[in-house]
Amino acid sequence: MTPSHPRALPARSLLATALALALGSAQAQTATEAELARKLDQLASELATVKAQLVQLQQQQQRAAQPAPAAAPAPVAAPVVAAEVPRAEPATVLTSYGEINYNRPTKAGQNAQADIRRFVLGYQHRFDDKTKVVTELEVEHAVASASDAGEVAIEQAFIEHQINPSLALRAGLFLMPVGLLNENHEPTAFYGVERNFVETAIIPSTWREGGIQLVGSFDNGLTLQGGLTTSFDLNKWDAKSADGRKSPLGSIHQEMALAKAHDVALFGAANWRGIPGLLLGGSVFSGQATQAQAVTQSRITLWDLHARWTPGRWDFATVYTRGSISNTAALNTPLVGNDTLIPKSFDGFYVQGAYRLWSSEDYALLPFVRWERFNTAKSYADLGAGLTPEAARTERVITVGADFRLSQNIVFKADYQRFREATDANRYNLGVGWSF
Amino acid sequence: MLIWSSSGRGLGLLAAAALLAGCGGGGGNAAATASEPQTASLSAQAALGEKIFNDVSLSASGRQSCASCHAADRAHSPTNALSVQLGGPLQDQQGRRSTPSIDYLSFNSTFHFAADGTPTGGFFWDGRAASLQAQAGGPFVNPFEMANADVPAVVARLARAAYVDEFKRVFGADILSRPSDAMGRMTLALSQYQKEDAEFRPFSSKYDEFLRGKVALTEQELRGLALFNSPGKGNCQACHPSAKAADGSFPLFTDFSYDNLGVPRNPAIARNADPAYFDLGLCERPDLAARKDLCGAFKVPSLRNVAQRQVFFHNGRFTSLKEALTFYVQRDTHPEKWYPLNADGSVRKFDDLPAAYAGNVNTTEAPYNRKPGDAPALSDAEIDDVITFLRTLSDGYTPR
Repeated sequence: MTPSHPRALPARSLLATALALALGSAQAQTATEAELARKLDQLASELATVKAQLVQLQQQQQRAAQPAPAAAPAPVAAPVVAAEVPRAEPATVLTSYGEINYNRPTKAGQNAQADIRRFVLGYQHRFDDKTKVVTELEVEHAVASASDAGEVAIEQAFIEHQINPSLALRAGLFLMPVGLLNENHEPTAFYGVERNFVETAIIPSTWREGGIQLVGSFDNGLTLQGGLTTSFDLNKWDAKSADGRKSPLGSIHQEMALAKAHDVALFGAANWRGIPGLLLGGSVFSGQATQAQAVTQSRITLWDLHARWTPGRWDFATVYTRGSISNTAALNTPLVGNDTLIPKSFDGFYVQGAYRLWSSEDYALLPFVRWERFNTAKSYADLGAGLTPEAARTERVITVGADFRLSQNIVFKADYQRFREATDANRYNLGVGWSF
Repeated sequence: MLIWSSSGRGLGLLAAAALLAGCGGGGGNAAATASEPQTASLSAQAALGEKIFNDVSLSASGRQSCASCHAADRAHSPTNALSVQLGGPLQDQQGRRSTPSIDYLSFNSTFHFAADGTPTGGFFWDGRAASLQAQAGGPFVNPFEMANADVPAVVARLARAAYVDEFKRVFGADILSRPSDAMGRMTLALSQYQKEDAEFRPFSSKYDEFLRGKVALTEQELRGLALFNSPGKGNCQACHPSAKAADGSFPLFTDFSYDNLGVPRNPAIARNADPAYFDLGLCERPDLAARKDLCGAFKVPSLRNVAQRQVFFHNGRFTSLKEALTFYVQRDTHPEKWYPLNADGSVRKFDDLPAAYAGNVNTTEAPYNRKPGDAPALSDAEIDDVITFLRTLSDGYTPR
């Protein structure tokens, strides 16, 4: 994915929006204004290159057209090259992003850790004006082998076909259009060294499913997305592990790795960018998740509402999301006594404010603060006295820090996170990230 | 009624999920398709295996077959309450270890060390046999069991069996002229019988029906299950998994790992009269002789049909579930109940191990992680709840 940059440049945003509407591509509709602005710069630069190449070719043609002093035949290559129409954008584009993080708990310095959190390579290849393929290959934690903790994963692999100027079809493995971060998860697209908890513990970013999706984009700034996808697998729930407590859906997502595909999920998302600098949106996902491998059927539903507003130097964002799992009493009964039963509901909310304190050319310093509250086990279905687990305590986290942008594509980050419940987790974080 | 509370456990967001159980190492669940009852008829090899399994004429005494100690109506375990079974030419020799059920063993694997180093798999209490077939050959020539002098002696008895013509039809007319091959075919037939006949893996307990959603557990059974699962209480599922696996397969109530429980010495075994005699389990195997840290470790048995057993642990030291469970939770809180006293009045814990190996005993995991004066992990009433739950693991459940 190309990054979104939380910048507040209304004039540029207008231009970008206009360009987006003119191009009418689904890619443009899902990108932010800042991304479009960057693309405009890129196009301008490429246009200049193309102009220069054209001049060069014209000169070559003129030379070839002049009578040869000897009997040697004129070279044939030049006219052929000249006949090709140069493209505004190469057919194949390499993309990449990376995050290198350092975490230091304030009360347990011995647990300080440095990690190449993610290193991602991808490509987009345009088959023609209407059709392209988008892929991302990710390595987490630097080394993935039988004895190392890292993993290699395909994050995206889908075909996108533009049916008409306002409607595109995606098929394959794609990121779910949920919240603010999931589809725009590059380090240059969010504040803070670590991704926020609401969009990792509740919305299991980077959350992707396999399926088909229609993306409609309209002149009034509305983007509608919807489709059919694979779903979660509740059979994977491990009541002995703490994973389900850290992220209920993160512990049972399938990532299209030999995914059980009996159950089909439905999703929809609406995002409105009708006023420059403002984004209002929401989404809902719902699907059965026991994949016909358990007696009990269970439906998982996750929805969210989100907003982002970038007036002047400010950048405000908020997300509320809530998930629920049905029939958990029947699913949990064989698991009674375990530490991690399946919650009936879980939710999270955050507000975030950032300010462009200083900028010079490409450099920019953006201090920010984010307040989050989330609960991965907000309620449990009743299993009877003595057997029903108590709901988890709602965690509250405040993150204060700053992003320093070396350019649109490179960011240095530093912040401090304070937890109200898990106070041992209080920590300082440093990070560097890039994306192109 | 829903319980909404803000006073529960903390999130422990960054708490290390160090769930590397002392037991464990994979396995523990049946293949999903095998969890359903099967009625397919036996192959020719397996049908022969059934006859061999029940044939007392293959023993030196002429009175012992596989079925003598592995009775079908007892989940293929003994019908008596002897600590160790009797065998030998005169049926008067004590075996070294108690006779386990052989049900659900087709889901076991060859002995290996799991990625975290946990010894796992293998057949017999010490995993020395690599397969069901290898295990099947052992008792025929064990002097304390069927007590044949050697393989040719077994095959000579086979040559006189009523089904010998059938054996020759299946494995070749001249098979008996090659005793080693004939023995291999006998054990193959026995393992095929155990693999094919669903009686060895019925999955027909009340708990299975509960997992199929066809019956509910009673309140007491459910309480027992919770205590069985709870890491702070019984913590039984650390070695005896009780949940369905991600692939939908049913739990086997063993992870086929090994543990050293420090079970008290059993005076009912005559060999134990010799104070220098010890049964050291895994490290008695020639290939593991150097692994002194494994001395005293024995395989974790399945708890399916455990309520049908009459003796418990590798040396059959206990004769009731109540006694066995009480030992688990009071071994460290009330050691004087289980072990003899030294001359100075102190308790000689883990008396069935040489003192040098006492440190091998599992004292870190619940419910063993206690000391005298602590409350046992389970109260007497809670032990009863767990036993009530364990009774739901008996195959052949029919709803009343």
